[in-house]
Amino acid sequence: MSASPIRRAAGFLAAVCLALVALQSLDAQGQHDSSVAVVVHPDVPVTNLTLQEVRSVFLGDRQYWNSKLPVVLLIRAPVAHERDVVLRVIYEMSEVQFKRYWIAKIFRAESATPPKIVYSNDITNELTAAIPGAIAFLDSQDVRPGIKVVRVDGHLPGEPGYPLK
Amino acid sequence: MRKLLLAVLWIAFLGGGTALGQTPSPPAGQAELVTALLERIDRLERRVNDLENKLACAPEPCATNAKLVTASAVDPPAPAAKNATMQEHQDHPMPAVEQSTYPSMQIRGFGDVDFFATDQKGTTSGFDLGQFVLHIASPLSKKVTYFGEVSFTAQNVAQSTVYALQVERTLIRYDYDDFFKISFGKYHTPVNYWNTEFHHGLWLQTTIARPEMVKFGGTFIPVHFVGLLGEGEIPSGGVGLNYQVGMGNGRGENIATAGDAGDINNNRAWVVNLFSRPQHIYGLQMGGSFYGDEITTPTAPRMKELISAVHFVWTRETPEFLSEFANVHHRVLDTGQVFNSLAYYIQVAYRLPWLEKKWKPYYRFEYIHAPKGEPVLHGTNLVESTAGVRYDITEFAAFKTEYRSTKRATNEPRFNGVFLQTCFTF
Repeated sequence: MSASPIRRAAGFLAAVCLALVALQSLDAQGQHDSSVAVVVHPDVPVTNLTLQEVRSVFLGDRQYWNSKLPVVLLIRAPVAHERDVVLRVIYEMSEVQFKRYWIAKIFRAESATPPKIVYSNDITNELTAAIPGAIAFLDSQDVRPGIKVVRVDGHLPGEPGYPLK
Repeated sequence: MRKLLLAVLWIAFLGGGTALGQTPSPPAGQAELVTALLERIDRLERRVNDLENKLACAPEPCATNAKLVTASAVDPPAPAAKNATMQEHQDHPMPAVEQSTYPSMQIRGFGDVDFFATDQKGTTSGFDLGQFVLHIASPLSKKVTYFGEVSFTAQNVAQSTVYALQVERTLIRYDYDDFFKISFGKYHTPVNYWNTEFHHGLWLQTTIARPEMVKFGGTFIPVHFVGLLGEGEIPSGGVGLNYQVGMGNGRGENIATAGDAGDINNNRAWVVNLFSRPQHIYGLQMGGSFYGDEITTPTAPRMKELISAVHFVWTRETPEFLSEFANVHHRVLDTGQVFNSLAYYIQVAYRLPWLEKKWKPYYRFEYIHAPKGEPVLHGTNLVESTAGVRYDITEFAAFKTEYRSTKRATNEPRFNGVFLQTCFTF
């Protein structure tokens, strides 16, 4: 008879804990659910790229949009959400592998410079708008006018099938 | 009074504790701080954007920021909209757009320290300093870049140690676009995958040593090439075809060296390399190459040389798979005698998923056979197994431990060795 209130209290506590965990998980999902947009300087002559083409650009294999317009890679500094997505989906590398990749790329004389590091989304917006040939990744919520969002595999951020999440 | 003294001591102790608490936090704490600061910057930027949007949209209802930009991505904005965008940007201080200053030289170094002990007769065990390598990359303009690589190697000469300075690579390249780039200078000959993938950066390669067929100072494949090289992509969709076509001096009188100071004959060497990096199979590279030359040395008859090579590699580390095969065809011009020497290696490695992915065991099998009577490659036979493990101490330094079992000629005994190396980039 006396165990019943204790059980009830324990059950209530367990339910509260579960609810908290669920809420936290929902919150975490909400924080990282936003898609990452591929953005370029308005003069870059592309509106749609396949995921493989985005990879080719960010791996430094494709270095020119055309003979007069070199590609300028911008990438967020470590721990930014955009960088995590890019490393996971585009490069399929860890931070260490990413650093090693660019050291090797330059050592092989395949590229003269690594991607430029950007420290905030605001600066990404402004540099992408200002540097001809620039390409970068931005949280789709942070994209501002003055730059061009590129479709990836025919999809814009937020559309079903968009790969950069 | 005693209580007052105790109170003062207590306060001093607490103060000291606070001061100790203000000592620099460990790196992990700094990383958290950086993360928190970056997140805060993002939050503040979002807030500023929201406020700006509210201000900009105040007179009339407007779509969300994302929708506005999405629309501009698909359809070019009307001039009025463009002006509005420009205006918006003029309201903000623009970041200092990087003014490209040329030349902008970057230097990276590679180094290694080695230990070895073998049961081969006539050898001694011990440490050696390996190579000290400096690599230079310097864009001279948007489309012109200089690359250089020099090495310092310790050598015992006449009871003293000297450091031999070698210009390993020095080239200037003009890029027209992705499909055509032309360069002039001294290269690692693009007739072999390993030769152009790892150069002198031992930290970049999994194993301690290069395969024998491309070892520095070796004769099987010409490691260096002085001349010009055209390279680029071949429009091929997802196949990812690339080419390299070069013409240069070829082998020198000592066939292990290139003709840095001029060719030894009037015959130019040539090289053609085709390889594919399929876009849909990320990490795969396969290709083949040909190299032609005329060999003129004081100790051997004049010969035509044709090297054909193929490679098939998977560069992801889970697993890593490297394989190459090369055939060196020599034809003596006076007698028409023909010699075919072949070499191959297969290397497998796997970065273990545990222990912070710092361990990478590997195995390599190598084989070289030059026929009897081969005028310049005689004595280069080899059957070797290498097993080892690489441990990445930090992001930029590694330890490697290797066991090798080697047999050079049928009438010579097999010998074994243990090799250790620490290599790094800086």
